[in-house]
Formats: sequence, C-alpha cells, structure tokens
Amino acid sequence: MRALVIDDSRAMRRIVTGILTNLGYEVRDAGHGGEGLDVLNEGWVPDLATIDWNMPVMDGLQFVSAVRSNPAWRRMTMMMVTSESEHTQIVRALAAGAHEYMIKPFTADAFRDKLALLGLLPQEVAL
Amino acid sequence: MTSTDTGQRRRGSDARPVITELIDEMTILAIAEEAWVSLVGEDEVLVPIPSELPGDILSSWVDVVGPWTGSVVLTTGRATAEELSRALLRESAPELLDDEDVADAFGEIANVVGGSIKAALPGPSGLSLPQVGNAPLVRNAGDLCRVDVVWRGEPLTISVQGALPPLPVPTPSRENEVPL
Repeated sequence: MRALVIDDSRAMRRIVTGILTNLGYEVRDAGHGGEGLDVLNEGWVPDLATIDWNMPVMDGLQFVSAVRSNPAWRRMTMMMVTSESEHTQIVRALAAGAHEYMIKPFTADAFRDKLALLGLLPQEVAL
Repeated sequence: MTSTDTGQRRRGSDARPVITELIDEMTILAIAEEAWVSLVGEDEVLVPIPSELPGDILSSWVDVVGPWTGSVVLTTGRATAEELSRALLRESAPELLDDEDVADAFGEIANVVGGSIKAALPGPSGLSLPQVGNAPLVRNAGDLCRVDVVWRGEPLTISVQGALPPLPVPTPSRENEVPL
C-alpha cells in the first residue's frame, strides 16, 4: 500500500512516515498541498494521503478540494492530520471531501486504529 | 442636539475577555502534558516547578486570532530546544541537528500545544503557522497565563499571552457636573 504524507513540518512528516513505514506502507512526502499535487500528477497515486491543514503555499483544505475535482484520484482516501480541532473546521474538511480527521497530538496506536477504521491496515498487519 | 464620539468612552463591543477568564494554568499544563506524551515520548513528564531560564533561550509560538487574540509561546534554553527536537524525531533524527531542524521540530510542538489551547478557547479562531525566535512581547500583564515546568531537569515556560494592550480605564464623565 502507498501513502502520501503532506505536512509543512519535516519533524511531523518524519513521525507520520515512521508510523506508516512500520505498518508496511511505501511512503512519499510533500511539504505543502502543491507539492502533493505534483506527486499525484507524476502518476504516483497513493491509497492514503495524510494532510496537514495549516501549510504555506497550498493548505490542506485546498489540496482536498483539488483532489476531489479530479475523478482519476477518487479512490484515494484522505485523512486530515492536524492541530485544528474546532468542530466547524472538522465539518469543513469532511464537507470538502476528506474521509477522516486525526487531531494532533496522537499516538502511533491511535493512528493505527484510524487506519483500521478506514480498512487501510495492510493485511499482514491487520491479522 | 448631536454629540461627538471622542472615542474615549468604552463601548459594550470593546469588552474583550482576558485569557485568565478563559483558561487556567491546570488546563494549560494538562494540554502540554498530553502533547509531550504523544510527541516527545510516553515516559516524558513535565514537572510544574518554577525555575529560572538560562541566558541563551529560544521561543516557538503560534498566534491565535478570534474572540481572544494572542500567542501561545514555548520558551526554553537553546540546548533544551535541541534536545526536545531530538526526542521528537527519535530514531529519524539526523546525527547533527541544524538550526532549521530545531526550528521545525520546536515550532511543531508549539503548533500542537497552541492548537489544543485554541480548541479550549471560545471560537471560531484562526491559528497561524508556527514561528521560532524571540518571543513576542507581553503587551498586557493582565492578559497572560503562564505555566513554568521542568522537563528532564531543564526549565521551560508555556505562556498564553494576549496580543493587545490593555483597554483604557473608563473615566467618569464630568460633562453634566454643575460647578458649586
């Protein structure tokens, strides 16, 4: 399985990449939504994208909207991973097309539980 | 008869909350502890003891803009900020951390703590991208809630501070006073 980690913080990208790699994912990362779209435009379409909200250049919400406007990327699951925890913001993200919402801070176990909920744990890990 | 608004009178809409009416030290500490456990490590504890910061300090902060406007500021010694960054990155930390690595990781901690504090305040509010450097000045000592902790024996402060100066104290109008 493939995952694209989009976050402007290198530290957070490393943390999320570490969790996903340990679960068996092949991971690429991007520093903002625009870089994330560049990866998709290369033809590298992941099963999962984890997306921070507040980023320079292109924020997470803009990225989600851009992905949703392209039918070729419809099968990709999008999970916001962000410190934005206001209810109205969560509703906005889900309305824009995000599938799930993970609030920072989180533990590796909580992250894994979310993936299980989405049916995105690689089979050998889920067993 | 018309009257001129000199702007000196305090209007109802001018009233704005100060941070101590919205959040207390215990809540800030609980938020920071949760962030530490998740980001820094399960065994990492913050001990709420006042302690003097060293001379060479570094701050990271995020701004909150909404019904309450201000900053959530983390301040600690530069060496402690580096140790925190290394703890955050764990096995993926490079052998040599450069200033950018420290700014990025220390900024992310402020982002996570600030986001949780924002969630505890009345909304809707916006959250800025994190910044690292010299902390913004305290504009109003009455709009400040600060927690002093020790992490791995080193002092660290978490300050939730208003960005606006104090409102002028209303003075009673003498307009209708009759001289004796």
